[in-house]
Amino acid sequence: MAPPVRCCVPGERLCSLEEGAAGSGTYTRHGYVCAALAGCLAKTSEDGALPVVSVVRDAESQLLPDVGAIVTCKVCSINSRFAKVHILYIGSTPLKSAFRGTIRREDIRATEKDKVSQVEVYKSFRPGDIVLAKVISLGDMQSNYLLSTAENELGVVVAHSEAGAQMVPISWCEMQCPRMHSKELRKVARVQPEFLQT
Amino acid sequence: MPGAGGQWPWRGACRDRAMAGLELLSDEGYRVDGRRAGELRKVRARMGVFAQADGSAYIEQGNTKALAVVYGPHEMRGSRSKALHDRALVNCQYSMATFSTGERKRRPHGDRKSSEMTLHLKQTFEAAILTQLYPRSQIDIYVQILQADGGNYCACVNAATLATIDAGIPMRDYVCASSAGFIEDTPLADLNYVEEAAGGPQVALALLPKSDQIALLEMNSRLHEDHLEQVIEAASKACKDVYAVLDQVVRDHVHEVTTLLGE
Repeated sequence: MAPPVRCCVPGERLCSLEEGAAGSGTYTRHGYVCAALAGCLAKTSEDGALPVVSVVRDAESQLLPDVGAIVTCKVCSINSRFAKVHILYIGSTPLKSAFRGTIRREDIRATEKDKVSQVEVYKSFRPGDIVLAKVISLGDMQSNYLLSTAENELGVVVAHSEAGAQMVPISWCEMQCPRMHSKELRKVARVQPEFLQT
Repeated sequence: MPGAGGQWPWRGACRDRAMAGLELLSDEGYRVDGRRAGELRKVRARMGVFAQADGSAYIEQGNTKALAVVYGPHEMRGSRSKALHDRALVNCQYSMATFSTGERKRRPHGDRKSSEMTLHLKQTFEAAILTQLYPRSQIDIYVQILQADGGNYCACVNAATLATIDAGIPMRDYVCASSAGFIEDTPLADLNYVEEAAGGPQVALALLPKSDQIALLEMNSRLHEDHLEQVIEAASKACKDVYAVLDQVVRDHVHEVTTLLGE
């Protein structure tokens, strides 16, 4: 028999700061933890530290990308200086409305970023590719979220060749089309073996 | 007697209308619709009216009907230069349906009154929503009046509060609003259209009930400062009564949703 669920509304005083720490969906005021959402109370008791009091809603509220988060995005257009993407997933939670992001040319790769061997955006991404990237900045007035793929685990995960077939990665910078056997240049992500479906 | 009460010339006008048959407050203490001086109109509200919006609510206060829809928080649309680096931007729009008033309304939104109401709504909700949790994003609140019978701004605020709670946007507290007037030395709470059109002083108050903080206070016409405290007191009490009703609506909705999910 499950214990009765306690529902709370915004502004309701839940407990004092000595009895619990403020978690998600709450805020602190005058030494008390108050609810900020209408939902059910959830108390996680940790050993040693104070229990964390949070308010849980049935539907997930909108997540915002934070600096350092790994996001899954789709390339919508490329340019000689950057690639514009639509951010679709943050971690493993899908977003209801896509955010826009930018991957600059100097953030595509970790090595060989200098002027002599220029990284070419055309040889790293193409429109329609699904890319794993990390958020490096929330952006300022003029720009969107800035993303980076300058790690081995980040880069293109799914790409379609010019013939339309889904390509297979053969190295960190090349993918091959299974139908036409042509090789195309991409900045490929090294996906951990446990995540691959064989 | 026109001109009776030299310092308060509109008192004479009220008495004129009284003689014309429209008594805003009868001798027994009843108003035009049969309410007592401090009594609110019947409030009925529903949350989650639209499935496609993030949050929505419908409220009826007497004959005033308002619909509020909330979207967000999402990425800034339009000019990115308006984005605030540490907070979310609250974008409101107030509009009245063309069929909401006695005569067909020519301009639903964009006229001076609507722009002023929009600004008031924005100010009110920026005080209540915890905007620091969503930097560089935008929260949209759209309110529409379907039938206007006085207390338009107050119905909008109450509907928008319910819609914001329905959308799951964290708020400091509810925002409850009510209007109040002052007729014949008695403060009246929750004015309807007839009482507003009479031309007496009107106060609109938006309150955060738990902490007794005022989010917005607006007054029309003239009121002597000796009476101000009484009127604000009446408006505060009316706001707390509205809060009791809205609280019950939210709790019922949350119970219903959690039992449907089987938690």
